[in-house]
Amino acid sequence: MTRTEVIAQIAIDQSEKKRKKFSPYIVTVGLLPLILLAWWLATTVTKSVSPILLPTPESVVAAFPRVLSAMGFGDQVIRTLLEIAGGFVLGATVGFFLGVLLSSSNRLRTAYLPFLSALEAIPTVILAPLIIAWIGFGVEGKILQAAIACFYAVFITTLSGLGLAEPSAINLMRSLKASRWQVMTKVRIPTALPVIFGGLQLGATTAIIGAIVSEFIGSTGGLGYLMIRYRGGYDTAAYWVIIFLFLVIGLVVYLGIWYAERKIVFWRRTEITRPDLEKQ
Amino acid sequence: MTATTTTMPPTPRASAPLVARESLWSRIRRGSLWISITTVAIMILLWEVIPQIGIVNRILFPTFSDTILGFGQLVSGGYWWEDLGKTLYAVAIAWVIGVTFGFVMGVALGISPFIRTAITPYAIAVQALPKVVLAPLLIGWLGFGSESKIALAVIICFFPVWIDTMVGLALPNANEFKLMQSLKASRWQVFTKLQLPSAVPMIMVGVKHALLLAFTGVLVAEILSASDGGLGKLAKEFASQLNMSLTYAVVLVVVIIAVALVSLADVVERRVVFWSEESRARKR
Amino acid sequence: MTTMTQTAPLVRAEGVTKRFGSGEKEMVALSGLNLEVQEGEFLSLLGPSGCGKSTALNIMGGLLSATEGTITFSGEPMIEPRREIGMMFQQAVMFPWRTTLDNVLLPVEIFGEKKKDYIAKADELLGMVGIKDFRDSYPWQLSGGMQQRAALCRVLLHDPKLLLLDEPFGALDEFTREAMNQELLRLQAYSGSTAVLVTHNITEAVFMSDRIAVMSARPGRLVGILEVPFDRPRTPDLQTTNDFVKLVAEARRMLELQ
Ligand SMILES: Nc1ncnc2c1ncn2[C@@H]1O[C@H](COP(=O)(O)OP(=O)(O)OP(=O)(O)O)[C@@H](O)[C@H]1O
Ligand SMILES: [Mg+2]
Repeated sequence: MTRTEVIAQIAIDQSEKKRKKFSPYIVTVGLLPLILLAWWLATTVTKSVSPILLPTPESVVAAFPRVLSAMGFGDQVIRTLLEIAGGFVLGATVGFFLGVLLSSSNRLRTAYLPFLSALEAIPTVILAPLIIAWIGFGVEGKILQAAIACFYAVFITTLSGLGLAEPSAINLMRSLKASRWQVMTKVRIPTALPVIFGGLQLGATTAIIGAIVSEFIGSTGGLGYLMIRYRGGYDTAAYWVIIFLFLVIGLVVYLGIWYAERKIVFWRRTEITRPDLEKQ
Repeated sequence: MTATTTTMPPTPRASAPLVARESLWSRIRRGSLWISITTVAIMILLWEVIPQIGIVNRILFPTFSDTILGFGQLVSGGYWWEDLGKTLYAVAIAWVIGVTFGFVMGVALGISPFIRTAITPYAIAVQALPKVVLAPLLIGWLGFGSESKIALAVIICFFPVWIDTMVGLALPNANEFKLMQSLKASRWQVFTKLQLPSAVPMIMVGVKHALLLAFTGVLVAEILSASDGGLGKLAKEFASQLNMSLTYAVVLVVVIIAVALVSLADVVERRVVFWSEESRARKR
Repeated sequence: MTTMTQTAPLVRAEGVTKRFGSGEKEMVALSGLNLEVQEGEFLSLLGPSGCGKSTALNIMGGLLSATEGTITFSGEPMIEPRREIGMMFQQAVMFPWRTTLDNVLLPVEIFGEKKKDYIAKADELLGMVGIKDFRDSYPWQLSGGMQQRAALCRVLLHDPKLLLLDEPFGALDEFTREAMNQELLRLQAYSGSTAVLVTHNITEAVFMSDRIAVMSARPGRLVGILEVPFDRPRTPDLQTTNDFVKLVAEARRMLELQ
């Protein structure tokens, strides 16, 4: 069991009945103004938080049009998005195919898995200075950094997902004399998809982090570069505007992959919610 | 499913629980060990030869022997011990704080399904925000010392512990809750005798994940704020001086530490949740 | 040799032994099995759990290879699965990402033939087992019995000469199981194929088969063959006749004797 649907599966009929009339989402929505109020109280009213860290809400709101309409802002956004997308596609593709390769040979798997598992442990950011020294401050280096950051998640989820097919399904395919390719495309990959999507989601998140860190360390453009510039000019409000932008980018990517999963792996959720299947 | 619960989009992780690791003996017998050894030998050979025959620039891509020399230079240099200590110190402190904070938050917000559901959208937002964006701000605010490193690492590493605790507390199924209710267990008893033990395997995974994230956070802060020292600073300095064999050596040290930390965490995890593997094996 | 046997057996197993593992962990699952399956007959493999029925069936289907002994299909040695053999397992194995129809059409797809040419046949089969209305539904929308009906259609789609059925209805409830057995007999008669059914249910074996191969507990070996002379088509009433009850008792005696 993954931690995926767990939030939904909690002791359902336990304390829920008593509270049916009162939706938790009322609390969700109600929390937002409270958070904003706390922010306002902490900064504008009591001035108890350093403006270097957290500016007042008013100043952040005021900074939005300034930042968004600054010269060349669109180019920086596009550049960062390109780095993230490029790194994600590159890292995920390599991870996927390596996962497929290793899953199709027991020998290769046992030979290489120990090394590849070590990759799980490595904080890929340590490579950032190296990559910059190798290929400079341009877009390519950021793409490479993002790709390295997201590779492992896709690789390992692909590898373990491809092993999930039921032996009976494999036997059925063998009794039909299906080729390895057919077993892979018609059984193993569809079975692995839910797990692979988990890897894609994690990989996308880490690709974003890889691109940002690399931009922070040294870049000729991009949102990370802008942030360093705004901070250098003590324009914390503008800095926070870009934080919000990254929140939006992160959410769009995260929920986008989630939505794609729901559409592509359509059978999974329906299967889970079918009550009589849960007995087994 | 009742209408009041929600499906949180998956908070995935990359670990390989389903990929069995094989014993050394079976690897030797099946010949895969030879593949490993040969591959490593070929890699080292290429690493050594390619820069030497000038396909790539040897200054930027030092050979294997250059790297080993750099490693010796680094280790015998003496000055780097302080950097190593600073990094490990920051990782340890940040990890302890992050795990504590994440656990407390997970318990506080995870004990009731109602609160859990209510804050799920916020959890998703925290998950989706690349938290490293805060690094330059924290450095600006807390200065270049170890405080900013620790702060960044805590912010990055508390998250999986929080989520995994929350999710783990939700793992027991309705029947298990019913059993506890039928025994008239108090809320505290339900928590300590049912929810917490069920959550431990999950929490351990989060704790392990947090260790890696704390390391990442510290390294990012060190690379960004060069003055306090640490392995991240060393790597950045050497790289900017184009002293690549020493950069390689630092990366090598980081890799060794990371692999050692994870192996250690694996051992601890297996001890603590000894029943988990057993019951998993039984279910098969 | 004076007479050529007019009906050469479709499957012939000679001294088939299967061992799993080696050294101390060695396990003899099947020991010296001799068995002939005649063309067109319905044969059951009856035996206690773990006696190697599935192993024997998998060897006949080419999914496993025998440790010792030979096995031939139409006179040719079995070394790998053949497309003239259709197999059905205890699990229906319906892929949740395919509709019922697409699941039924899977063999055609694997064989690289045109799916279009088989849709009519698939519909006919689905109609015969009464789930035509569900052709465009997904497996999770079907009950266990319906899924097995679809699996039955799938195995019959490409007219296999030999059906190897490994407790195909074992996971179903008693009522559905009986209905499915009827269905199976009807379709087998209709397609004229040979069938080998693995079961540990004595009544089921007697009701379904022309011959029953009774096997002993581990290591599995053949105890004897029981001829079942009843006419076809068989109806459920048969099960209450004296002859039927006698045969069931006979089979039980053979099982307990070993
Ligand atoms: N792949 C395998 N590796 C090792 N042992 C096996 C394997 N497959 C089967 N066996 C063993 O061989 C014996 C016979 O197994 P088999 O599945 O053929 O029994 P069966 O008669 O079909 O039993 P059941 O009625 O429970 O299905 C069993 O003891 C089983 O443990
Ligand atoms: Mg069996």
